[in-house]
Amino acid sequence: MQIAGPLKSLAKGLPGASVCLGRPQPVGTSQMNPILETLRSVAEQPYQRAIEAKQRGQRVVGTLPMHCPAELIHAAGALPVLVQELPDPITSGGGVLPPFFCGFTRSFVDQVTEGKIAFLDAILFVDHCVQLLSAADVVRVARPETTIHFHQLIASVEQPWSLDNSVKTLRTFVEDLEELYGISISEDDLRRSIRLFNENRQLIRQLYDLRRSGAIDLSSTQMQAVIKSSMVMDKAEHTAMLRDLLPMLQTAGPAKVRKLPLYVSGHMCHAPRPEILALIEECGFSIVDDDLYHGYRYVSTDVDEAIGDPIVGLATAYLTKNRNAPCPTRIAPSVEMSEWLLQRVQASQARGLIVLLAKFCEPHYFQYPRIKQQFEQHNLSHLLVETEHEGVPLENLRTKVESFAEMIKRQG
Amino acid sequence: MSTVLESGAPLVKKANRLQSTKLNNKMVNAYWEDLFRAKEQGKLVCWTEGIQLNPILQAADIAWCHGEAAAALLAARKESAAPQAHMETLGYDRELCSYARTHIGCGVMNQASTVEAQTLLDVDARTLGSRIPEPDMIISAYPFCSTGQQWDNELYRTFGKKVPIYNISMDWVWGNKGSSAYMSGPEYREKVAFLKRQLEDCVRFIEGITGKRYDWDRLSEIMTYTKRAAELRLEAMKLCKARPSPASFFEWTNSIAPVNFLPGGPEIVHYFEQKKAEIEARIAQGIGTVPVEKYRLWWDGIMNWNKIGWLSDKFAGYDACMVAGRYTHMGFWQEPQVIDVRDPLDGMAQNYLTCPISISAPQVIDKIVEHCEFYEIDGLILHAARTCRAFSYPQHMIADAVGKRLGLPVAMFEGDMVDESFYKDEMVNSRVEAMLEAIDASRARRR
Repeated sequence: MQIAGPLKSLAKGLPGASVCLGRPQPVGTSQMNPILETLRSVAEQPYQRAIEAKQRGQRVVGTLPMHCPAELIHAAGALPVLVQELPDPITSGGGVLPPFFCGFTRSFVDQVTEGKIAFLDAILFVDHCVQLLSAADVVRVARPETTIHFHQLIASVEQPWSLDNSVKTLRTFVEDLEELYGISISEDDLRRSIRLFNENRQLIRQLYDLRRSGAIDLSSTQMQAVIKSSMVMDKAEHTAMLRDLLPMLQTAGPAKVRKLPLYVSGHMCHAPRPEILALIEECGFSIVDDDLYHGYRYVSTDVDEAIGDPIVGLATAYLTKNRNAPCPTRIAPSVEMSEWLLQRVQASQARGLIVLLAKFCEPHYFQYPRIKQQFEQHNLSHLLVETEHEGVPLENLRTKVESFAEMIKRQG
Repeated sequence: MSTVLESGAPLVKKANRLQSTKLNNKMVNAYWEDLFRAKEQGKLVCWTEGIQLNPILQAADIAWCHGEAAAALLAARKESAAPQAHMETLGYDRELCSYARTHIGCGVMNQASTVEAQTLLDVDARTLGSRIPEPDMIISAYPFCSTGQQWDNELYRTFGKKVPIYNISMDWVWGNKGSSAYMSGPEYREKVAFLKRQLEDCVRFIEGITGKRYDWDRLSEIMTYTKRAAELRLEAMKLCKARPSPASFFEWTNSIAPVNFLPGGPEIVHYFEQKKAEIEARIAQGIGTVPVEKYRLWWDGIMNWNKIGWLSDKFAGYDACMVAGRYTHMGFWQEPQVIDVRDPLDGMAQNYLTCPISISAPQVIDKIVEHCEFYEIDGLILHAARTCRAFSYPQHMIADAVGKRLGLPVAMFEGDMVDESFYKDEMVNSRVEAMLEAIDASRARRR
């Protein structure tokens, strides 16, 4: 199968990609690290490895953001692949889903209608964001041959029955997988997968800690490649690479120049284009922390291995995750995302915040005014950048971000 | 054969409105006046959106403000622009659900009485919005749409997290198993049971606030009226299969209130009896809802609440009768037969879980095809409500399905429920005229 990845699209000069073409990405001290190069390559062609695995006879199951416990799919002996937004222009998918949906959902639908993810045995998802659910529903009408199943995790995560309901849902998810493949998934299978996924998350969080402290030189595009590749490749292989990568980066040491520390927030489902992250860093910032889905959000919470029943462990992790990285689609009266974000930014010692808001992301639209208010009240600089699937005029953005950097510098 | 373009100036003809609809307007006005005085009468007030929880609240003698109804009221009275502008100044993007923006913006932000809010709201909107009494509780119960839940929780934050909120999770019936079908199968029954348990728990939440034992007998009585009103409404709707159709989709949008947020009582039953009787009389006399019924159409999507009368006349001008629509004919106690008034929660849950945004696209499409066949529809108007993605998302699929299965043409255009700025009249004209010409051409080919 032919996969149209970002580089290929750019080479074709497709309109969606061309507006994102800015200056070449900066070459950091770690740029030529062979592991980072491999991960970058995986992230740029996110389905290549899955297609190869499929050709080798492995089961491949797609998942959708934001909270699908891929450990369950891994325990079934399948490769879980988180569907990514591709930068390709929306073509046939535009005839299925209206244009006022977010970039991820439109891209997902287009990938299905264009046959780009036909290699997936099935797609399983658990989140009820109105746009995600809408996209999934039209997919099964437009392409009835697609196996796409929904196991709705309760969004109201602080109810007395939230845990029981989540456990029940995840058990149904497992039964679905067992039926799909005619297999049985044991608790030991699940525990092994949870252990592996926990280690992967922990290693990535170590990278976050080291980057936040300035001990290693890791650009935001490299960090994104680390996480995006983790979403689509064999977890054991990825984890092994991370084990090797950490000491290599520590040995290489910090960046020669530490620029203005910045926190980046938003993009709850799909990766901001690497060009945007690179541009921000070109404008004088070092991104020291984030809560992007293709970032800290993805690795925020481990599953407690001490909980006897692994399904209960996964359900507990799902519910507690909302305290570690609040999700605007979750209903949690005791959690205030804007307060959490303020604390995170302050803890990271960032001098400013850039909010990357994917156009038409209603959950984020609801949160942004309170974030704005919170940061204004605490006199912390922030900048809102709305991104679109079709691209962002980079030179306009450069002017904004450069001005933002100058403003922070003048504040002393 | 004359074509649509030969039929003269389209706006000369007017829709022939049902007289009984005036009774609806009286009941609606009375409801809002009652709500505005609820605190003076010592009543607790609940704010809610989405499904029709009002019978449950009415049985506990609690007044209620239904968010969509409040937003629609403002839109119908041309007062929605100011609160929407106010929300935009606070940072709420205009692509966000306009119901939510209008409700939070006018019904809530002016309650805060900030200088900014009072300055930005115009006098009329401030007056109307500020008359909606503050909530003593919020109950969130939104089918399918995550935005609905967020809307309620934004209200909770707007009132400083001091007003108790009860969150009902309305699981969507996806249909993972082959055994799943409309209103049947284990998955469906499981979701109904979960919702029923939550409704029971919600009643305990209400008891905790009122300090009174819940009056289940009163709920049965209210649901007896509600069920009868719903049955009469459906019967009257089906009568509109007649040619010419005695009532239109626009008339049914004007009759949503009795089955959406008005108190359940003899008045709503009487209203639909009157309406049905008037429809029967029209049928007997061969009177249609449009002066000339040349085309029978289906309206898919939520109504533009600020344009009901205007659109009604516009289509009458095209000799087109909007006979039925998804919003009116597939929702609002649309399955009254499953309600056991002695123990109504199960049946209520079933109605909540089968409203038009609570059923999946394959089922929506099947239902629309059934309706189009029953009402002998010639073409579909697909109003893509820009900020209601829950309603708009399957419309391309619907267009495809009715084309393939029934050979019907469609006209699709963007608009919105209560944000008038998304509506482009010239685009509507050109697309509707093109569709009507396609119907003419199709008829000519069949001759």
